Amino acid sequence: MPNNAEHIHIADNTHFLKGSLSLTNITDLVQFLAASYKSGMIHLHKHPAGIEGKIFFTAGAITNVSTDELSGLGALSEIMNWDQGEFQFNPDVTSIEKNVGLSVQHAIIEAAVLHDQRITNKPTSHIDITPGEGSGEMEMNQRDSTTVLNDLLMIPGIDVVVVVGRDGFVIESVGNSSRVNIDELGASLAHAINAIEEMGNELKVSLFQDMFIEYGKAVIMCRPVGDAIAAVTAPDASKLGIVRHKAKKYFEELVLLF
Amino acid sequence: MTVMRDTVVKSLAKITIQGNEDGLIPEYDVLENLLPAALLNSFSERIMAAAPQEKKSMVADGLVRAAYECGYHTGCGIITSDVFNDVVLPMVTEGEKDILRGAFAAFTAWGWAKSGIVQLKAGEKMVIRANDYYEADSGGDGLRAYMLRGLCQAFFDLTYAAPYPDGMDTYVCQQSKGIEVGDPHGEFIVTKKQAAG
Repeated sequence: MPNNAEHIHIADNTHFLKGSLSLTNITDLVQFLAASYKSGMIHLHKHPAGIEGKIFFTAGAITNVSTDELSGLGALSEIMNWDQGEFQFNPDVTSIEKNVGLSVQHAIIEAAVLHDQRITNKPTSHIDITPGEGSGEMEMNQRDSTTVLNDLLMIPGIDVVVVVGRDGFVIESVGNSSRVNIDELGASLAHAINAIEEMGNELKVSLFQDMFIEYGKAVIMCRPVGDAIAAVTAPDASKLGIVRHKAKKYFEELVLLF
Repeated sequence: MTVMRDTVVKSLAKITIQGNEDGLIPEYDVLENLLPAALLNSFSERIMAAAPQEKKSMVADGLVRAAYECGYHTGCGIITSDVFNDVVLPMVTEGEKDILRGAFAAFTAWGWAKSGIVQLKAGEKMVIRANDYYEADSGGDGLRAYMLRGLCQAFFDLTYAAPYPDGMDTYVCQQSKGIEVGDPHGEFIVTKKQAAG
């Protein structure tokens, strides 16, 4: 359902950010604006279809998304795949109606999942491999870890993938390791994860599931995979939402290998 | 807390190991030779090359056996040594698994093999990966990391079989990948030895 004018309060339209969708990615744009805690509306025109879209967000959270035909996450999922057209950012424009209400990262992940489901017509978290009785079991029909790690590396934004044992032994790594001392990274990750797990035990909460460490623009994302830990480094934290979504199925596959 | 590999490696690498007047190293309650790895590789390469085709498998088994016996007795000395007790045992929280982690960290510290545990099912199976080991750049045909095969089997026996010296030959180690044949790393799988017959 499209927004109509009565839902929009325009405070100040004197300063605009404009551009072409062929030159920038709408996901990057939304994450950039959210990272600086902007509030406002991105108004989009898709070419050549002539469809309009609007994304409203307030202080880092997406509140309302619509196109001529869709609203909410469905609309965001649609807009994220527009690659021809124009956009214009109108600061301080707010929407009274809320049809999303998620952080930018969360909204992007959910929209990406919706998009994948539309394409494949099945849940994306499903992997066509049969889990073993435990993380230590190796199955005959599994892909090998090198193949899975290389697939992870193909995700835009990831430049190093590493799997380390709980003792810090670097089991395997792929990517631009010349920038990173892989052995040092493995040792540091193992120390950090052990500290985090001890904290979890002390607090009597669930086992650690995810860890994100941001260093300025760069980010390291870690997850337990069986008895090991998988980590990816991304030099540009603005890609974290997509990286997290796209990497999920590969992490699940790695769980069966370690 | 578990055994942290970098801590073990840094601590053990500081220890100066010097041979005595007999050229032997009386560490860990066993005597160790301090000889270049190239000597072992050269011996293995020549004895394999000299063996007739039908006996090559038997000779290879003999090389693994030599490493195994050395690893079993030396390994017991290592994991019961004062050095190991001081450096590794304070970090042990996961029992046998941590002892094995410490043992493979020691391998790395002393330059025997840059290796570690990939998978471990207590008492049943262990998968080891090694990024460097004696035979990684040796001459010859096929998978031939005799030394590390023997050591992996020895340490699994020491950890999960009957107490030393009664637990020999409970497990067996097979090599599934090798740097010497072009794989990115060596991989070794230890499983329970099947009963004969």
